Amino acid sequence: MPITLIVNGEERATQAAPMTPLLDVLREEFFLTGAKAVCREGFCGACTVHADGIARMSCLMPVGLAQGCAITTVEAIAADGVLSPLQQALEDHDVVQCGMCFPGMVMSLTKFLEQNAHPSRDEMKTALAGNICRCTGYERIIDAVLALTNAPQAAE
Amino acid sequence: MAHADNLYIAASVADAVAVLADRAGTATPLAGATWVMRAPLRREPLAHSYVAISQIEALQRIDISEDEAVIGSCVTHARLAEALAGRGDLAALATAAAKSANPAVRQAATVGGNLCTADFAAADLVPALLCLDAAVELEGPGGLQRLPLQEFLSLRHALPVGSLLCRIVVPRSAARSAHARLPLRKAGDYPVAIASLSIEQDDKGIVTRAAVAVGSVEPVARRWPSLETALVGRPLNTAWIGVQAERLAEEFTGRDGIEAPGWYRVKVLPTLVRRAVEALSAQTA
Amino acid sequence: MSDPANAVMNFPRRDARDKLLGRTRYTIDHVRPGVLHAALLRSEVPSARILRIDTSIARKMPGVRAIATAEHAPGLHGIGIADHPLFAQDVIRYDGEPIAAVAADTLEQARAAAAAIVVELEEIPAVISMAESLAPGAPQIHPDWKKYEVLVEGAARGGNVAWEATVARGDTDAAFARPDVQIIDSTYRVGRQNHVSFEPRAVVASFEDGRYHIQTSTQVPWTVRNMTARILQVPASHVRVTVPAVGGGFGLKFDCSLEPYAAVLAQMSGRSVSLVNSRQEEMLTCLCRENAEIRIRSAVTKDGEIVGREATVLMDCGAYGGEQIFLTTMTAHTLGGNYKLGSVRLSSRAVYTNTAPNGAFRACNGVYNTFALERHTEEICAALGMDSLEFRRRNVLGDKDLGATGQVFEGNVLGPMLERMAALREKSPSRKTEAGDRLYGRATTVGTWFIFIGPSSATVNLNADGSATLVTSGVEIGSGTMMQSLPQIVANSLGLRPQDVIVKTADTDASGLDLGVGGGRTTVSIGAASSAACEEVRKKLLSVASEMLQTKPEKLVLTGGRIEIAGIKGSGTTIAKVVERAQQVMGPVSGSGAFTAPGVPSMPGCAAGHFIDAIDIPVFAVHECEVAVDPDTGHVEVLSYKVVQDVGRALNPRAVLSQIQGGVVQGMGYALHEEVSIDAHGRIEQSGFETYRLPLALDVVPVEIDLYEGAPSIGPLGTKGAGEVPILNVGAAIACAVSNATGKRVQELPLTPPRVLALLLDRNEPLDFPHISPTWHDNIIHTGIHASL
Repeated sequence: MPITLIVNGEERATQAAPMTPLLDVLREEFFLTGAKAVCREGFCGACTVHADGIARMSCLMPVGLAQGCAITTVEAIAADGVLSPLQQALEDHDVVQCGMCFPGMVMSLTKFLEQNAHPSRDEMKTALAGNICRCTGYERIIDAVLALTNAPQAAE
Repeated sequence: MAHADNLYIAASVADAVAVLADRAGTATPLAGATWVMRAPLRREPLAHSYVAISQIEALQRIDISEDEAVIGSCVTHARLAEALAGRGDLAALATAAAKSANPAVRQAATVGGNLCTADFAAADLVPALLCLDAAVELEGPGGLQRLPLQEFLSLRHALPVGSLLCRIVVPRSAARSAHARLPLRKAGDYPVAIASLSIEQDDKGIVTRAAVAVGSVEPVARRWPSLETALVGRPLNTAWIGVQAERLAEEFTGRDGIEAPGWYRVKVLPTLVRRAVEALSAQTA
Repeated sequence: MSDPANAVMNFPRRDARDKLLGRTRYTIDHVRPGVLHAALLRSEVPSARILRIDTSIARKMPGVRAIATAEHAPGLHGIGIADHPLFAQDVIRYDGEPIAAVAADTLEQARAAAAAIVVELEEIPAVISMAESLAPGAPQIHPDWKKYEVLVEGAARGGNVAWEATVARGDTDAAFARPDVQIIDSTYRVGRQNHVSFEPRAVVASFEDGRYHIQTSTQVPWTVRNMTARILQVPASHVRVTVPAVGGGFGLKFDCSLEPYAAVLAQMSGRSVSLVNSRQEEMLTCLCRENAEIRIRSAVTKDGEIVGREATVLMDCGAYGGEQIFLTTMTAHTLGGNYKLGSVRLSSRAVYTNTAPNGAFRACNGVYNTFALERHTEEICAALGMDSLEFRRRNVLGDKDLGATGQVFEGNVLGPMLERMAALREKSPSRKTEAGDRLYGRATTVGTWFIFIGPSSATVNLNADGSATLVTSGVEIGSGTMMQSLPQIVANSLGLRPQDVIVKTADTDASGLDLGVGGGRTTVSIGAASSAACEEVRKKLLSVASEMLQTKPEKLVLTGGRIEIAGIKGSGTTIAKVVERAQQVMGPVSGSGAFTAPGVPSMPGCAAGHFIDAIDIPVFAVHECEVAVDPDTGHVEVLSYKVVQDVGRALNPRAVLSQIQGGVVQGMGYALHEEVSIDAHGRIEQSGFETYRLPLALDVVPVEIDLYEGAPSIGPLGTKGAGEVPILNVGAAIACAVSNATGKRVQELPLTPPRVLALLLDRNEPLDFPHISPTWHDNIIHTGIHASL
């Protein structure tokens, strides 16, 4: 029986075995390659997606448990191709390097900022305990996000 | 890697128990899946089939009354931490749930999974629940069974076929509790040692009841009765307790692991006990 | 010439947006339907004789399209010596060594078939550590070492010593015999470091029209081309290498690795074949920064003059020589760097063991040689009772001082950089109070590294819309060089905006030879080749414009997308119009340029077995940090970190700061968290991120940085590479600070909490090296092929 899930607002079905990691279905069947398979053990966060509004590691989520779930991937964060304010801040501060961790960073931070619009530096670092970056040394990512959250209400 | 082609999504506890019994011995309950999904990395085969219990509503409940907290086995770490925030007697459990692993894993990993994963020595919730005198409730072919947690930990390798951990019952008390863990980084890794503490004091500050549990030091978490005895009948003095912990720490045989040698886990234990006591004092302040 | 200052800007990288949108396609994202999946059968023992390999069952399994073993790839490859077969031939030399490769319709099928290959082995004794490897009577890992083809002559080799590079300048025997010196003898040991590039090594290969096309995640397209051809025994021109976006390299991808397996399977199956290492394979077979063992002895006068220094550095190359052969060279310029030495002898040896081969990792052995040298320096200062900053001020290399191999250094750089560090320290208050009850320590260290220059080529095509296309073999591995400094250099040269410079990614069919992206060389080498190409373009443009504007070429300037008569704004015309005109009268406008190392001389006879006798562009760094050490648990917290880095000219200061922050944090991982241990069976124990602990956001601090500009450099616009060197002295600075905090002799990295607590409790075994004699002469092979002694 196919498993159906709603991916970026669209109903999709997969014949994958139910214990297949959601990550592999997203990447290999739906060609949503934004989420990355880096550690496959829930430590690096590069595969983070939103499942029913919760940031989850898609490598640890069997697709069978995603039946009926609304899954949002990084590809859907920029509505109509316009960068979200978070993505814009990361671009403006030129913090991206190899870029492999950023899809996961964007997904984790997007959810985190929804719940904590004005985090402290330490709160942000704590929130990133499950997102590893090998290139940047983190601090400039934090600077970019804090510049966004501390900015006087940006013009629409 | 081979994927189990059989995942049954149980609608109710009775449903799950029936299917587990039906697939005698070949099916394994699956909750948050965070441990099972890593089986290939541990070079373990996946089970023949899984019975998913995470969508059973009854197992997702948290009921906190004045007498007890009843926690469904499929409650995630994140929900548990949120529900327990601000309850001093359960602070050890709240801290354990809030600090374990990382945020996204806490959104998936469940209380029941943490208790049932026998090979996971560094589970945070286990010592926290041990120091709180928690019991577990199992459903199975033989009906409902309640076991003290420590007993469950020794039986969990060989539970009767069809058993399902459904609820964790934590008695409420006038105690205060704390959970001190030592990851090698600041966060994000499994603690190499854990001390969980629950203390009741009389109005003069004399300890009337003490429960200390130690996790990650040995393969299975356990209580520390000799230290508990030493604590009772005296005021809560961090330095003095630390000295007692140092004296008694040799009762533990630390497990050697890739991340830390056994001696290290034992050596840092008194420090964790001190930190837990300090955390208690901070709660009072 | 255009003003170099105009090239300096914080030009943002153009690949950031797609990376943030999840749209960038790395090699791993090119595995699309129709592409076969490959899996490697790897050895699970460290040392064995192969008695039989039977693939007959595997061949019949579902979905299997091709199986390759040693017979399909007989060539031996290597750096310096060809000692490395693609597949284990008759002998297995490390746990994880590939025995066979399978291509199938799905990855599961490929893995299942690989597991079904029958391999009959006879285990033979393994040597896991360098002490075992160098012990008298140790089993030889390459008994046929004498028969291997030597690709670079001039080094001593023998037994389990794959390569030995030696330095001898002056008479150390006499120096050590002087009555007025103290002799300080130190030993150090470091573990391996895994790069953990987030994109693993990955390749998609096809075989079309009689040629191989390899799409791969690499830093060195030309090395991949040439090595693959050598292994498959086809002409190099039969291999084309293209490189999609690379998800991190750090040196891991500075060698040919998975590409030939995919190529041979593509040729056999006639299909495109993908091969991607799992994270576990990356952990078990990473071409790590090698583990090393070091002994340094110095003879120092009471005034702090270093009259003699002798050192032996053992580098574990694992089962095959690989990059370590080359990297033995770098001991002379790192451990032999920093300080003025009256006389010096160095032995730098790559030692075979039955463990996974190692490779190049950002600043390579410079990182631990600097750790050893700087800790040794502190031990000297402690023995002399001299302030260690004062000692460094007196002894650091300055203008016209001699390096270990006798090269003459130009300019005073390290001295003024120490002053700049003092100024940085003045500006920012100490974090000592944050240490609280913990032990507090601070240290300042210096480091010497170099820019690895060498052949690069570039072509610049000027387009009729006023844009330029830069064609090189450079690849963007994340550091931003291809996105920032190269377009900035070209734009500055041609009076364009950097956003109007298109930089083509590497394609060995389109661009000329290049050594690859690494060693901080891209801005310098490819930049210089690009500048040369731009000169040709400029000349062509100016000659056409001269005719159009009726003005002599030397009175014309290129600026803002226009060619103007000097001093008269708006007098000229647009570059686009000139290009259009040129296309009519002389054809499309393009230029090509080339560059290679000019070759700075060393002193004759000082260096033997070296690939680089003297360094063309030295780079210096001064680091300082403050740490707090928890006496109860051994946890080290870095409270502050400061860097003064010699960058020549920072073309894109913001990008340089990013490289420094990132490099320092990788160094913190090396110093404190990242541990690779090897069990008694030669298996690397850390199989994933649970046990291999990378620094997380909470573990790091913002690095305070001062960019030191203006030191001599032959790089274009006075640049030096800035991306490699930030990791250089982090291990050194943290180790010295921890030593100062604890009062203990820090001899090992990483300083994990258990190791630090053991240090505090004096639980560590003394670091005695039975295999490194205090008599330096005993640590070399006496063949007569070493530096004149």
